Amino acid sequence: MANLRDIKNRIGSVESTRQITRTMEMVATAKIKKAQERIEAARPYALSMMEVLGNVARYAKGAEHPLLESHEKRQRIVVIAVTSDRGLAGAFNSNILRLAENIIHDETAAGVQVDVIAVGKKAAGYFRYRGIDPIASYRDLSDKPTFTDAKSIASHVIGAYSDEEVDAVYVAFNRFKNVAEQKPEVHQLLPIERRVVDEAAEGSDVRAEYTFEPSPEAVLELLLPTYVETLVFRALMESAASEHGARRTAMKAATDNASEMITTLTRSYNRARQAAITNEIAEIVGGAAALED
Amino acid sequence: MERTLLCEIVTPEQVVYRSEARMVVAPTIDGEIGIMPLHAPLVSALKPGEIRVIHSDDKVEWFAISGGYVQVHEDKVIILADQAAASSQIDVERARQALAEARARMDELPPDEEGEIDACVADLNWCEAQLSVAGKKGS
Repeated sequence: MANLRDIKNRIGSVESTRQITRTMEMVATAKIKKAQERIEAARPYALSMMEVLGNVARYAKGAEHPLLESHEKRQRIVVIAVTSDRGLAGAFNSNILRLAENIIHDETAAGVQVDVIAVGKKAAGYFRYRGIDPIASYRDLSDKPTFTDAKSIASHVIGAYSDEEVDAVYVAFNRFKNVAEQKPEVHQLLPIERRVVDEAAEGSDVRAEYTFEPSPEAVLELLLPTYVETLVFRALMESAASEHGARRTAMKAATDNASEMITTLTRSYNRARQAAITNEIAEIVGGAAALED
Repeated sequence: MERTLLCEIVTPEQVVYRSEARMVVAPTIDGEIGIMPLHAPLVSALKPGEIRVIHSDDKVEWFAISGGYVQVHEDKVIILADQAAASSQIDVERARQALAEARARMDELPPDEEGEIDACVADLNWCEAQLSVAGKKGS
């Protein structure tokens, strides 16, 4: 019976799909751990830098810096959308793209021009499809972002902001809450909020009399761009960990669905087989009965 | 026992080095400084160059850094650098190659691409810092 063979083939193909999704799930699980370790390894630098920033800010109170000044006008803003290069990660990318899309919609309605920097192939492809040409695209870094990557993205917006070509910069990325949960968030990158600097200054050890070389203002001027770079780096790393987390969840669901499907298919296969056997017996019995008469 | 200070070299990606030392020499923008125990609190910007960590037994370790900051506070020296590498871990061949590539890129850049030029200069300095430190071995 053709039907039996059909069902058998379906079972075979679902089984091989399950094999793939299960492997992807395991790979993602291993990668989450590595990505988490990288976030941990980056913490000492971020902490020490905030400490230095605090000390400097305490001495350079009220210092002016282009990255701290908010512009009077708001004509052009930049959104950095951090996505992945590869799909099969559930709503990971579409969440970010929807967030970015909302910002573009709202700001455009308010008469602000919104430019996009696309990180990851998914963002680049999506915006090009929507007829928005990203001012810059980065790819091949979503798996293992380096500080050099972050620097190159940051330098793009730092220059534009200092020259007053851009009036605000935001970054949209998936924050890694835990292995099973990612939270799409939008953070303001520029201007640097004064609050950040003031809070860092309050946290610093006031008993120490620091010397600054060349001067507190000069160090601050060097430090603020570095601060922005670490924020971008952090966003990239969080996104990388989230990507693996989202993929693991998606692949686990796919594996479970495949298993369920195999159970259903096996059941109908057995039922069809049973029906075929019953049929055959009925035919034989019927045939024998016809002979007896 | 002789007083020592704790030296930490940290990059955004990891802690590169952490050890007790007798003296740390770092390349600040205004020139090289030596930091010994009981140094006054200091924050200084660093330029690309070499860090020397001198231990109590006069053993010296060299590191190349791509510029950054140093903070000294209560016998703790924290060096924050974009990139840092111990002299023994520098791949000379790769650094040479990167240097040649950066030079070639520099020649092709139009003069109005300020951001790109800055990035290129940073690359050049980093490569040069690595090459100058690479040959040096702890004695």
